[in-house]
Amino acid sequence: MSEHESASLVKTLRPFHVWALGVGIVLVGEYMGWNFTVAKGGVLGSMLAMLVAGTMYVMISLCASELGSSTKLAGGPYDWARLFIGPGAAASVGLAVYMEYIALEAADAIVVAFIAQSIFPELQVFPVTLLVIALLTFINYRGVVAALTLNFFLTMIAFIAIVVFFFATTFGTVDIHPEYLFQGALPNGMIGLFAALQFGPWFYLGIEGAAMCAEECKHPSRSVPLGQQAGMITLLIGAAMTLYLCAVLIPADMLGVSVYPLFEAAQNSGVFIFISLLGLGTFLTCVASANGCVCDSSRSWFALSRDKYVSSWFSAVHPKYNTPYRAVIFTMPVAIGFAFSGFLDQVITFSIISGLLCYVLIPFSLIRFRNLFPETTSRVRPFVGPLQPYIAYFAIAIAITILSTLFWGYKYNLIFAFVFYGIAYFYFSHRHKSSNAENNWAEMGWPLPRGSENARIGKEGIGVGDE
Amino acid sequence: MEMNNQAMESKYHRKLNGDTGLIIGMLLLLVGVEGFVLYKVLAETWEIAGDFFYLYVIFVGLMVVIEAIGCLSVRQSIKNHMFEFKYYD
Repeated sequence: MSEHESASLVKTLRPFHVWALGVGIVLVGEYMGWNFTVAKGGVLGSMLAMLVAGTMYVMISLCASELGSSTKLAGGPYDWARLFIGPGAAASVGLAVYMEYIALEAADAIVVAFIAQSIFPELQVFPVTLLVIALLTFINYRGVVAALTLNFFLTMIAFIAIVVFFFATTFGTVDIHPEYLFQGALPNGMIGLFAALQFGPWFYLGIEGAAMCAEECKHPSRSVPLGQQAGMITLLIGAAMTLYLCAVLIPADMLGVSVYPLFEAAQNSGVFIFISLLGLGTFLTCVASANGCVCDSSRSWFALSRDKYVSSWFSAVHPKYNTPYRAVIFTMPVAIGFAFSGFLDQVITFSIISGLLCYVLIPFSLIRFRNLFPETTSRVRPFVGPLQPYIAYFAIAIAITILSTLFWGYKYNLIFAFVFYGIAYFYFSHRHKSSNAENNWAEMGWPLPRGSENARIGKEGIGVGDE
Repeated sequence: MEMNNQAMESKYHRKLNGDTGLIIGMLLLLVGVEGFVLYKVLAETWEIAGDFFYLYVIFVGLMVVIEAIGCLSVRQSIKNHMFEFKYYD
């Protein structure tokens, strides 16, 4: 093992970094994208989608908090699936997380370039997109603390912009149109309520990634649950405020197709300070999201590489900056490829399907974790999530329901994703079964999982018989 | 030595109260904002939403209650392990 490979990730992150990573990635979905729920189900469909998806994400984030603070590994959902389900599921989840975040990074970088071009028309989208991706890759290469501290400030400004706009509107500074709520309440009837669910995850897509910095936290058993739950509440508050602001300032038929709904709501208010604030928020939240996506996608690739699911060359840690620098740099060509593939809408849909696949497998990992390690010692499970495993089952049911709604309009994306992850599942199950890879629980300081003693005795018994 | 321990304990409890205050403050804001938005939207659209308003009540209730219980669990976990893992050093 080279010197680079023996270096480990630096453990310096605090709860506000976890918050910044989670909310930074997701808040962009409240500035744009969520409003497709209005096109499908009107204001009432959008509100139901927000609440149903919100309930699912609250449960997923509690599962992720428990798993992240227990395992303390950089791979997040990938490592949980590897430890508690098996190699096929692990590879599928690892790839799903990688695709989810890198596609989002590409989309964010393009939006940043378009916003920059709308301010300075002489700029070209292509070079600005390249510049944004290169700059964020460099920041993440230099160190996770700097990258996430930057994210904290960008995200905080973008969130404060929503809060200020909401309270100003609520207290009458802005003229609102409550009649828009009734006019666009339910344009497609009851079926719209159900159809709107497919875009509900936009409000919160990616919050589970907050737990992926667990290996780099100073105290993961405090930072991960606290940062993740604070992040989840922030998003729930932001989602409700955003929905209300846009619904009373933009007619529903225009809101459903708006590119930057919050910015458009601010423009409709006619108040210069809000237009500036929300314009700045839209820009900053895209940068923060792309920045967080570089961090999370590189950690997922790093974890896949460390366990030899992909080339182990990517698992090197920088001796000076303590970052998985090869995995970080590798995000750049992949993101550029996605950005200029010409199929960005398909890529984003693939990102949502990948996310939903994770939302089935994260609670399932928790159920398996609880079965294998029922003990609640501070070494194995420092944070014990409440109401388990009931909320894990409930989260799986909601995730499958939302996944099924994608059949309307995205049938081929859904089939392609199932085929892709199905092949990954069987390929990696077969490959790692033959290499006989086993989890080293002792290295993690954990006891043997329940039932493993019997299995080992059984194996030894067979061995003796054979001899 | 005993003075040091007392000072440390006092510091730890002060910091724990800070974490608790942050969580409670955010939960109160969540309840207030969700309640306000739900009330405003349902009041304006009652003619249409009156038949299925219970869906909103069920999901907002589930969301807020599960999140609140989750936050209490986070606080309890920090309280249980704060000295063992030296969270506030």
